[in-house]
Amino acid sequence: MALYQRAPYSTADAQQLMEDESDQEEEALVNDYKEQVQFDDGMSDLAQVTSGGGGVQDMQAQLAAAATPLEYQATLETKFASYDNYCSLFHYILNSDGPVDLEVPSYYWAWDVIDEFIYQFESFCRYRNRVARTSPTDDEAQVLRDNPNTWGCYSVLNVLYSLIQRSQINEQLAVMKRNEDPMSVAGEYGTRPLYRMLGYFSIIGLLRVHCLLGDFSLALKTLDDIELNKKAMFARVMAAHFTTYYYVGFSYMMMRRYADAIRMFSHILVYVSRTKNFQKNAQYDSITKKNDQMYALIAICVAFNPTKLDDTIHTALREKYGDQLTRLQRGGPDALPLFEELFRSACPKFISPTPPDFDNPEINVDPVDHHLAIFMEEVKNTMWSPTVKSYLKLYATMDLKKLAGFLEVEPEKLRGWLLVNKQRSRQVRWNEGGLLDGDVVNTNDLDYAMQGDLIHISEAKVGRRLVDWYLRNLARTY
Amino acid sequence: MGIAFDFAQDRPEHINEILNGLDRYNPETTTVFQDYVTQQCEDRTYDCYANLALLKLYQFNPHLTRDETTTNILVKALTVFPSPDFSLCLHLLPPHILHPSSTSSSLPAAGDAPLSEAVQKLTTLNTLLSQADYRGFWNTLDSDDLYADLVADVNGFEELMRVRIAVTAGQSCREVDRRVLESWLQLHGQEFERFILEICGWGLDETTGGPGGVVLIPVNKENEAKETVVRENVKFDQFSRIVKRAYEQPA
Repeated sequence: MALYQRAPYSTADAQQLMEDESDQEEEALVNDYKEQVQFDDGMSDLAQVTSGGGGVQDMQAQLAAAATPLEYQATLETKFASYDNYCSLFHYILNSDGPVDLEVPSYYWAWDVIDEFIYQFESFCRYRNRVARTSPTDDEAQVLRDNPNTWGCYSVLNVLYSLIQRSQINEQLAVMKRNEDPMSVAGEYGTRPLYRMLGYFSIIGLLRVHCLLGDFSLALKTLDDIELNKKAMFARVMAAHFTTYYYVGFSYMMMRRYADAIRMFSHILVYVSRTKNFQKNAQYDSITKKNDQMYALIAICVAFNPTKLDDTIHTALREKYGDQLTRLQRGGPDALPLFEELFRSACPKFISPTPPDFDNPEINVDPVDHHLAIFMEEVKNTMWSPTVKSYLKLYATMDLKKLAGFLEVEPEKLRGWLLVNKQRSRQVRWNEGGLLDGDVVNTNDLDYAMQGDLIHISEAKVGRRLVDWYLRNLARTY
Repeated sequence: MGIAFDFAQDRPEHINEILNGLDRYNPETTTVFQDYVTQQCEDRTYDCYANLALLKLYQFNPHLTRDETTTNILVKALTVFPSPDFSLCLHLLPPHILHPSSTSSSLPAAGDAPLSEAVQKLTTLNTLLSQADYRGFWNTLDSDDLYADLVADVNGFEELMRVRIAVTAGQSCREVDRRVLESWLQLHGQEFERFILEICGWGLDETTGGPGGVVLIPVNKENEAKETVVRENVKFDQFSRIVKRAYEQPA
């Protein structure tokens, strides 16, 4: 696979990337490591790749570069070089004789490197698709056309799966679930923090890649061995914590499991709002955008599946999307453009796994448009549910023809709406086990049945909630 | 009892192995999955998770795509409406299939105009089903021979659809006018009676309602529409902080 192919021009650009790394602190780290770390023979293999200068410094530069975003205006050459840089780095980590000894620049390094690796893959694919759509005859298009395997989907997945397998991380997590010692199954590689962390974050990376490719069920399946709670390993790296919940929530939404999606988004947003005072500024800034996206997604899910939200979330949602939320919840054709707008602003940047067709630019559709169109079908199919519900709420029984008269629609049309609303109120909701598990439950507080043309309506009343009130006041007395 | 999305009762062991390993990405397993789809069509079983794996292989290796298998998967997904399966399949198809540009029909290079047309036809059916316009669904199905070709491979397609429509009717109704249900199921006369009495186990009351009477659907969990009061579920964990504080700050 393309992982083992290497283009000839890695040196110059690797050098350039290194120079981008002018950060004082990391420079100091590099010097520090230079003294401490002695590289073994595994380096000779790598030295051929980064053929310039002393191995130690190159290695550290490579490690740092792998976890550092490319410049916004990075040229195509830089992108290719960056890919080669990743290939040689992962090749070294995975295919040396036995596990390699690397001191990584920081605790977050493993996350950063996986995150950046996938980000570059994502942006490269989107860039390639855009070039094919807009300027398929450019020189750049020719370069892209000549290198179909660079940032190939198979090689990216290969890296992630290899890291997972090498580290035996799934086996480790399964054992940890049973409260046994993960080291017993970790093997030669998995016992080392470097491999363990890379393997672990590769699982999260896979979640993201599958989601970007539109395979939402496989995305959720990937997390089978990870328990979503605050004790999970990803919770120690804020960005990882955040990313996990975003993609899990989004995948649930696309599987029409809105209650589960809301649970995921709420969990992480509450967590962010409670910890924002402790977060370092830079880290917090980077998640602000995703934060807003998740509020938009919650607004969409709540429109599909009206539910009582956590107070903090509810207030923030009103602040950010007050007007829009009301319009979404009202439904009907007027809400369609709004659904579209919010989805577009908050969805992941979908990609297509194969190189675009440069000869037929018009068939290269932006993957975001593709997934949006499918999503909007569902919005359209259910857009009358809010209207129906708002009327039904007012009655205990109602004649179908009379209601059809109020709504000015054909009775048979209304019968259809009633069936649709009923079907959509039955949702799969997670209870225990893997993320794809769940029971079918009624998620609506309104239920009804038709006896001929007579609609019997019942409501599930929510009893008073006292515990929160009690706890708040109790806390005050201390 | 919940059933996980990736679970399929009748999935053979060799398919299970492929799905749980890296072979699910191996282009060589395409034929295995294709045979499995054919088998599902023949013996009326269904395995969405495996079918999505095949669509993913097509997504990664477009040259391997077999139009017929793709449409068969979509037709199978129709038989489990109103689940999201059909949409989940669409998400894995190449974007241009759903968004034909005006010139695509005159472009032999695109090569998949027939697939694009088939997918759009099936999407129309899916939309009608999702909107619970069952009469429209049957009318559309009968309106074009292409539909008959598309569903031909799926053994018992019409019967599977009728059962599915009956299930959704049973969810929402206690009594339905016979004529309405006839149009939903596209069945009349004795055939209709046999279906609702023997297959569904429902009753028929010819004395009430309009001409033909009404179909009586026994009460089930979904159509009883009972008033409920949701009570707060209090867990001890919620009090753990309070209890802890009590120990930390002895009065």
